[in-house]
Amino acid sequence: MQCAICNRESALGDYCAFHEKAHGNLVTGYEQWKKALDISWKEYLREIAKNPLAGEWAKEVAQHLLSCGEQPNVEKREEKRV
Amino acid sequence: MQNMGKYTLIITEKPDAALRIASALDWKERPQRMYENGVPYYIAKREREIVVVPALGHLYTIMDEQKGRNYPAFSFRWVPRYVAERKASRIRGWLQTISRLSKDAEAFIDACDYDIEGSVIGYCILKYAMDNKEKLSRRMKYSTLTKQELQESFSSPLSHLDFGLIEAGLARHEVDWLCGVNLSRALTNAVKNWSGRYATLSTGRVQGPTLEFLVNREEDIKAFVPTPYWQIRARIEINGQAFDAKYEKQRVETKKDAEAIVSACKNKEGQVEKLEVRQTKHPPPFPFDLGTLQNEAYRLFKFTPRRTLSIAQQLYLDALVSYPRTDSQRLPPVIGYENILKNLSRAAEYRELVSKLLRQQTLEPNEGNRVDPAHPAIFPTGNLPQRTLETSERKIWDLIVHRFMAVFGETALSQTLKIRLTADGHHFYLEGRKILAEGWMHYYEPYVRFEEVILPTIEKGENAKFRRIVAESLLTEPPARHNPSSLLREMENAGIGTKATRADIIETLYDRGYVRHERITVTRLGFEVRQILERHCPTIISTEFTRGLEAKMKGIQENKKKRDRVVSETIETLRPILEKLKKEEKAIGEQLSRTLEEVGLEEKTVGSCPQCKNGKLIVTYSRKTGKRFIGCTNYFKGLCKASFPLPQKGILRLAGKKCSKCGWPTVEVRTRRKPWILCINPLCPSKNRA
Repeated sequence: MQCAICNRESALGDYCAFHEKAHGNLVTGYEQWKKALDISWKEYLREIAKNPLAGEWAKEVAQHLLSCGEQPNVEKREEKRV
Repeated sequence: MQNMGKYTLIITEKPDAALRIASALDWKERPQRMYENGVPYYIAKREREIVVVPALGHLYTIMDEQKGRNYPAFSFRWVPRYVAERKASRIRGWLQTISRLSKDAEAFIDACDYDIEGSVIGYCILKYAMDNKEKLSRRMKYSTLTKQELQESFSSPLSHLDFGLIEAGLARHEVDWLCGVNLSRALTNAVKNWSGRYATLSTGRVQGPTLEFLVNREEDIKAFVPTPYWQIRARIEINGQAFDAKYEKQRVETKKDAEAIVSACKNKEGQVEKLEVRQTKHPPPFPFDLGTLQNEAYRLFKFTPRRTLSIAQQLYLDALVSYPRTDSQRLPPVIGYENILKNLSRAAEYRELVSKLLRQQTLEPNEGNRVDPAHPAIFPTGNLPQRTLETSERKIWDLIVHRFMAVFGETALSQTLKIRLTADGHHFYLEGRKILAEGWMHYYEPYVRFEEVILPTIEKGENAKFRRIVAESLLTEPPARHNPSSLLREMENAGIGTKATRADIIETLYDRGYVRHERITVTRLGFEVRQILERHCPTIISTEFTRGLEAKMKGIQENKKKRDRVVSETIETLRPILEKLKKEEKAIGEQLSRTLEEVGLEEKTVGSCPQCKNGKLIVTYSRKTGKRFIGCTNYFKGLCKASFPLPQKGILRLAGKKCSKCGWPTVEVRTRRKPWILCINPLCPSKNRA
């Protein structure tokens, strides 16, 4: 399998090890953003994609998620619970 | 050399040191300077004649027994450098002169720097160039090139060489050669066999883990996701004066909470609830070892560790400071504190400080725990410069002098006053600080800074008004990038490399294109090399491996381990790693070649082609004329013929900016004149000279 963003080899799933790490940070970061500002997943991704402090890979994953419309795992988990 | 009888032959590491030693030992301090094969050497007259001949650093090196650039390469021998390195042809004559001078010598003294490298340099010359004189030679041990110390060191030399140190030094060279040559060849050959292209790629037992530190940090930065928080900032008025107060929590996690705090305190008065006075003692700093000198020089002057070492080395050769390659934080009394200070006071800028310091009851340095068996911490010799020092040299010398004085200073004392204000259940703090006793800080100015904040007198129960209170919205920041100085510290803390080699390892990472910029950024190539090492030979980038080798080397120095054993253990560790690399050479070659190709293309790409819109404009060279120009990558596919002329003189740098007039790509041209930006569009309005 290849990474959906950079064509590197991906052993785990959609992303290579680098983008997977950024993806993990994005998902955990959202919990804090949601608590702090009560914003939606999409708004959050837009913020990260243009934020100068966000890392290059985190921005790339945010852009990719925006374009493919994927929801964060946290939300999926919450949905399952409901 | 005519009419000379038998003499004592002294070997030094560098020509400057040879002159210093010969001058110190000659009755009239004017040794006779001689030249042979371009080698300067000196004849000093004393009870007996002395000949002082310098080396040029290492004159011998390790060479592969087998020809070519194949690996694994486990058999090697020590050879003169001119045999192994094309550019070292000068060494041949140098060794001939040394060898000839040794023929008529009756006694031998090794006076190379007393450390691991100096010991190897002296040993190799005595053994190979002087026909096995290493067991006959005595050893001069000194930490400064001052006349007095050199004379004392000559009068009572050590009776033999430090063979433990030599064995450890030889083992270090051999182990580094085995790791560096084999692993670097594995990378280079993989690229060559896959693409037919030669690229200088390297790694080693210290380089690998150092690159690993940087890649780990880079990964954290690139995957970083900032999170929001709020900081409450309050401006509080006391007796008509305004002061900044801090909220009890550094970070407020939600916007709602932050706004609630602001609205609760806005236009309110806070009451002084508590006053806390605390006094803090600040002991003097430790004397400089090389690492702390390099860190301090970076903090103050932004000098890279390598630059600082090279300046300190020059100051040492000028007999202005002691030997800089030291781990010690100790200053033994034998160096003569008072004499050094008195000598320094001959310089107007230090006179007052020295006289104040000498009025103290005792002169006792504040020393650290680190010890170096060979040398004390870095200190000024007390000599004043005999030539005009360059600005950078003057800075480092002045820093060493001030630090030396500061370590004898008294403990400084500061006082902090913390005022706790309460408003509507929220606590705010005002903090003032002042120096009560300057102590050592006086001697370390201008290199120490203490900002005083004086608060007005206020009593418990008094009120203070909030002039302004805001919740500032902020985001967490990514981890800071390493700079050469912080990287050096991390290497030191991890126990990898030596004081003499760390700065060079960092520079090699730059030279190989694995990292760039002062705030270190790992390049794509750096990432790929590390990924390959991690995947195919993780041992090499593990700190434990290199730290374990350092411990073994220390064991050799202390005569607890044998050099041959350590070398053969290294070979046995490397053997399976290299076999694995060889098996996977194709995949490694493909990955590295692709990266090199892409990086190469990125480096010469000026911008997108404005004519065909999907090609890239690159700097290229005409096969016919050899002249440089800009062409489109689609030319080779027969899709675009765009090409633009370039000036043939000067260095080109990709400006990375578009022309402000026409939006076409630009390049920066650097000649002897001021650099200028050139728009590649021949019809650009900026070129109209109406």
